[in-house]
Amino acid sequence: MTALRSFVARRLLLGVVQTVAVVLLVFTLTEALPGDAAVALAGDDPDPARIAAIREAMHLDRPAWERLGDWAMGLLHGDLGTSLASGRPVSQYIADGFGPTLLLAALTVAVLVPVGFGLGVLAARHEGRLVDRLISSVTLAVYAVPEFALGVLLVTVFALQLGWLPPTAVGFGTDLLGHPAALMLPVLVLLSRPVCSLARLMRAGMIDALASPYVSQARRYGVTGARIRYAHALPNALAPATQQLARTIDWLLSGVIVVEALYVIPGLGTVLLNAVAERDVPVVQGLAVVFGVLTVALNLGADLVAHRLAPRAGVAA
Amino acid sequence: MNHENATASSRAGGTADEPVAEVRDLRVEVDGSTIVDGVSLKAVPGRVTALVGASGSGKTTTGLALLGEYPSGARVTGDVRLAADGLVGYIPQHPAAVLNPARRISALLTDIARAQVGHLPRGRRRSAIRGRVLQALADAQLPAAEVLLRRYPHQLSGGQQQRVVLAQALLLGAPVIVADEPTTGQDRLTKSRVVDQLAAVAARGIAVILLSHDLDVVRALADDVVVMRQGRVVESGPAARLWAAPQHAWTQELLVERPGFTEPETAVGTPGRPVLRIRGLAAHHRDGARGTTTVLRTPELDVAPGECLAVVGRSGSGKTTLARCIAGLHRDHDGEVLLDDVALPRSLRNRSRTQLAAVQYVFQDARAAFDEHRPVLHQVARTAIRLRGTDADAARQEALTTLARLGLPADLSGRSAGRLSGGELQRAALARALLAHPRVLVCDEITSGLDTISRRGILDILTTLLHDRDDLSLILITHDLDTAALAHRIAVLDAGEVVEQGPAQRLLTEPTHPFTASLVVPTARLKAGTSG
Repeated sequence: MTALRSFVARRLLLGVVQTVAVVLLVFTLTEALPGDAAVALAGDDPDPARIAAIREAMHLDRPAWERLGDWAMGLLHGDLGTSLASGRPVSQYIADGFGPTLLLAALTVAVLVPVGFGLGVLAARHEGRLVDRLISSVTLAVYAVPEFALGVLLVTVFALQLGWLPPTAVGFGTDLLGHPAALMLPVLVLLSRPVCSLARLMRAGMIDALASPYVSQARRYGVTGARIRYAHALPNALAPATQQLARTIDWLLSGVIVVEALYVIPGLGTVLLNAVAERDVPVVQGLAVVFGVLTVALNLGADLVAHRLAPRAGVAA
Repeated sequence: MNHENATASSRAGGTADEPVAEVRDLRVEVDGSTIVDGVSLKAVPGRVTALVGASGSGKTTTGLALLGEYPSGARVTGDVRLAADGLVGYIPQHPAAVLNPARRISALLTDIARAQVGHLPRGRRRSAIRGRVLQALADAQLPAAEVLLRRYPHQLSGGQQQRVVLAQALLLGAPVIVADEPTTGQDRLTKSRVVDQLAAVAARGIAVILLSHDLDVVRALADDVVVMRQGRVVESGPAARLWAAPQHAWTQELLVERPGFTEPETAVGTPGRPVLRIRGLAAHHRDGARGTTTVLRTPELDVAPGECLAVVGRSGSGKTTLARCIAGLHRDHDGEVLLDDVALPRSLRNRSRTQLAAVQYVFQDARAAFDEHRPVLHQVARTAIRLRGTDADAARQEALTTLARLGLPADLSGRSAGRLSGGELQRAALARALLAHPRVLVCDEITSGLDTISRRGILDILTTLLHDRDDLSLILITHDLDTAALAHRIAVLDAGEVVEQGPAQRLLTEPTHPFTASLVVPTARLKAGTSG
């Protein structure tokens, strides 16, 4: 399988190039801040002493390529710099926020995969019948509800009116695992749209695969129903769903700002929100790099899986 | 049904000739129209029963009925009886379609074998499965099976794919195998290999039901023949009797040998001024980022006015690339294509309307060459409007007469393309090209997807055209030597080189180049099966 090996090698190389591009882009965008980052950071009523302090802290008095070199070297050693607001290392911020974010993402994916794939396969099996129409219309309806609206609605019903679940995670700190009740609502909100899109993709893929000549051939030669569905039809339906799943995981790890804000969960989204509010450029830079690398890595993984599932299609690399 | 007697009389043997599958008085109706009407046939172990007929005659519907599959919404009456285990193997026209693109080819083979080893103790099942799968692949004449099992379908050649599908049927242990048009669109060598393969299957005591419109293959293989037309059986019986003394007019028409149209009128082709000249042509294909491959070298090739030149070669020999270079569809080439001593621009886009009209192209897949939703008549008339500036009414009138001359009356040509058969569409495609009043007409395998009757119709049209219009030159791209025999001159392509060219008669009887000889020989071999 030299073809596969060369595909993996090419795709990995591209991943490295993409990561370098992300780092350069983040640095360039920071450079492109109007005037001088220090002036922008000093606030509405700039105090020359503060500007000078910021400038020195950010080494803005040195040429750009030198600063890029330092920053990039630091990144190579895992040093993301230090926060302007608190002086703590940026990696500390990320490590603190990563726990809750990862927990939420893991719980969501653990439910998402069986439910999303299962609903899709179920709907495809009963194509055009009641079960299918029910799943298709409900998933479409739920998909149309924005997460902030659903989040507020769930809080109103389950926390305020029924009083079954805590409305937010305030007071639990980062020890969320000890309070599973507080995680119920955020996970539900995070699940809502991905489950729908995954189920609908799966349904379409399975309907195509189940109607294909190769599935007819397997059926004709006496292969049993469940085996046909999961061993012969499913692999063909998985490829598009895998790509969607990778995008979902990417979003869960780097973009759930609304849900974290709504339920007051101290994850990466909250860290990012605070950093932007405080104009803490090194923290924003560090997060951007982490998010960028995550996106590259997840898409790389998804491409490899898709390549395995649809060996004919060359993935653009 | 009267034909049952004929079938019965052929079974002179003992109990071994008990049919393993039988269709009795099958009727299949879809939306009120009858697709199959009162068809009966028997599958006898070790014998090949051929269902012969034009496309749309109900062959495939009958064949699929043996598998218990019917078109959706069909009303079915009659009996389909199978041997006790009810297993039927199926080799479809396009084997790639029934191979799962996302799984290695071992996947389905293993699943078929798994159902057969349930009686063994758990620990021995795995090796038993593997043994059976390897045996089936060996039976299907697939060497190096170990390596093959780990491949995906797209990594196999067409021939290997077909043999893998055959291996599935053999592994299943089906006493009946239905082969649907196994040779359609294949070149001679591949055809004779498929014939050998199916003969080997029958020799194993399996009943083979061959659905085909390829009479050469049917002659070479069939023990019994069932001739179908419009859903009905018009004649059936042992092959030898049928070939010797066809009873029904339709069968006679099907069997008529075509005389070539070359001999009497060799006076065509005024020497000296060829209409089309090719000089120093070398065509390339780009291979990804790696560079280019030269797929065709034609230093010199001329076509005289009124001449018919056949370009013959196996698939992949570069004959279609040559045609595409002439038509301006393949830009990536060196050298020149001259029309009346004027070099044609390489790309279609840079050719003037007159130049476009002068060289017309008819494609192999007529269905893909038409918009399926618009009336064919409009699409045909459009050529005259677009390339000759004719006004709409005149173009319509000319299209109607041309289509009628080619055998498509107004009630058919007014239909949308989706509602015409492949043969009818190919006539329309020819009419569309002719409305440009071309000097050179390139026909790229225009008969290879068609059944015998439709093919003959199209070839008759071409003959008439050459006869009536001595200013029209034809370039026939074909892998079929019977079709090439109609030409005045033949050029033989192998691996991108013209290895031999000359008068058709000489080339077919005394080929000088070994490759030409190898093309001519399998034709003779397939023909040899005829007498039997």
